Formats: sequence, structure tokens, C-alpha cells
Amino acid sequence: MNRLDNRSFLLLGVAVAVVIAILAVFFASGEPDGLESAALVVQGEKSLTGPSPDDADPEAVGTGVSVYSSPLPDYSLGEESGITGGIIAVILGIFVTLALVLGITRLFAAGKA
Amino acid sequence: MHIPDAFIPLWQGAAYWIIALIFIGISVRWAQREMNEDKIPVIAVLAAGIFAIQAFNLPVAMGTSGHLVGGALAAIVLGSPFAAVFILTLVLIVQALLFGDGGITVMGANILNMGIIGGFVGYYSYHAVLSLVKNPYLSAGIAAWLACLISALACAVEMAIAGTFPLVPGIVAMGVYHAVIGLIEGVITAVILSLLATSRPDLIASSSRVVSP
Repeated sequence: MNRLDNRSFLLLGVAVAVVIAILAVFFASGEPDGLESAALVVQGEKSLTGPSPDDADPEAVGTGVSVYSSPLPDYSLGEESGITGGIIAVILGIFVTLALVLGITRLFAAGKA
Repeated sequence: MHIPDAFIPLWQGAAYWIIALIFIGISVRWAQREMNEDKIPVIAVLAAGIFAIQAFNLPVAMGTSGHLVGGALAAIVLGSPFAAVFILTLVLIVQALLFGDGGITVMGANILNMGIIGGFVGYYSYHAVLSLVKNPYLSAGIAAWLACLISALACAVEMAIAGTFPLVPGIVAMGVYHAVIGLIEGVITAVILSLLATSRPDLIASSSRVVSP
């Protein structure tokens, strides 16, 4: 297999990330993650190996403050924009991540030169 | 295992931020030293890919789901635990600020668990296992599984210090779920490492001994 040049590697890598993110919008599990499941267990809402109740709130166990509300909570643009909103949100996330990394790394590379 | 703000009191969140900032500082120096035209695309693709794959929760039975964290992967591919700190910090900033996935005041704890502990456990256990079994993909899989598990146990201890989870039930629940979620971490880390070894073997740190020099 021929080695990809840097530009093709970057483009192919980003394309793969976009495909994974779009598939995630359709197929990602809605079950709570490990930390949320553990939070349900210690609240007595869930047994260790049993199913997670649909209406339980994993964050109810937290007693601290949460002052920040993000613009795109839960990787969506809100209920009404549904699947399309989810796809836009994850793709936006990929490109913001990419812009952040490329910006910082180019700054470092330029500083070194 | 993204901790939300309400799970850790402010002063403890500040303590984790101080620990995280020390490692972030060193990781910035790592990035400045290592940066070149060949490394930039790898770091960018790893960050974008880790962001994407973290959105893909896979069901793992017991009413739970999990996803790749990617600290072990970044550390093994780039040959330094500080690569994991650098990449995971940037991913966690985007997730928290834009999507509310993981808190702001607790971000130091999330960086500590997923970037620092994930990266260091992944990197050093990879090299320890590699010296025993000689197979880089098996070693990466085992190291990534261990990185996921140890990060989760650290998270359980932090939850106990915060008074959010009782210590033993918290450790048992976090341990059981992440022993299974870690299988996702192990398999995907090994698969991505082998894909990279085929497409751009020159980009994988020579210290990882994935590709014969």
C-alpha cells in the first residue's frame, strides 16, 4: 500500500471522523454511560447489572453548582431539529476541534522555525 | 466518564485544575518540541477522530453504554503520555464549552482522569506488556483496557472525596462498568494502531516498535 502524503492523510482522517460522527447520530446507544450508570446505582435507581430506568436522572446525586449552560447541549441543535440538528452539531464539533488543534500546532511550528 | 459540574465541589475542582494545569504546561512544551509538518496531521486527525468516536456510545449490557476515550491511543502513537494530555485537553474543552459534555469547574478532574491517567497508564503499561508479549497490537489492547479501568477507578475515588458516591459501592460500580467498557477501548485502540501502521507507518513513534525500523 502506498503511503499517503500528509495532505491526503489529513483529509482522509477527517472524512473518517465525519462518517463515524454521522453514524453515531443514528446508532449511538442512548443508555447512560459508565459514570451515569454508577450514579444511578449509588442512588438506588438501578441494580449493578440490571437495566437503567428511562426516567431516572443520573445527575440528581450531584449536590454542587452548575452555572454554565452550553449552546448545543447533548450534541443537538434542540428537539425540533432532530437528526439533522444532531448531524450538524457533531460535524461542527469535529471542525471546531480541528481548527483549534491546527491553529495551536501551526502556532508552535511557526514559533520553532 | 465525563464528570458534570454538580458532582465535585468548587474548591476540589480547583485542586484538580491545578494538577491538570501543571501537566498541560508540560504537554505544551512537548508539543512545541515535537511539532513538525509530519506530526501536525497526526495530532489533528487523532483529535478530530477522538472527538467523533467519543460521540459514539456503544451498548455494553447492564443498562450501560461506553465509548473510546483515546488517551492510550494518542500516547502510544505519538510516543509520549503528554501527547494524550495535549489532545484530550483540547477535545474536552470543545466538548464542555460547546456541548455541555463534562463540566467547566470539574474539567481539571476530567483532564486528570482521561488525559493524564489515561495517557500515562496507557503509555507505560503498553511498554511493559510489549516487553513480555512482543505483539504491539495485543499490548496496545491490554494497555488501553487498563487505562480505561484505572481512569474509572480514579474517578470513583474523586467522587468519594467529593461526597457524591460512597467509596466502596462507587468503586465497585465504576470498576464493573469500565472493565467492560475497557474492552471497547482495547479493541478500537488496537484496530486504529494497525490502520495507522498500514497507511502511514512513518508517523507512529519509533519507540512504540509497531513498525520495524
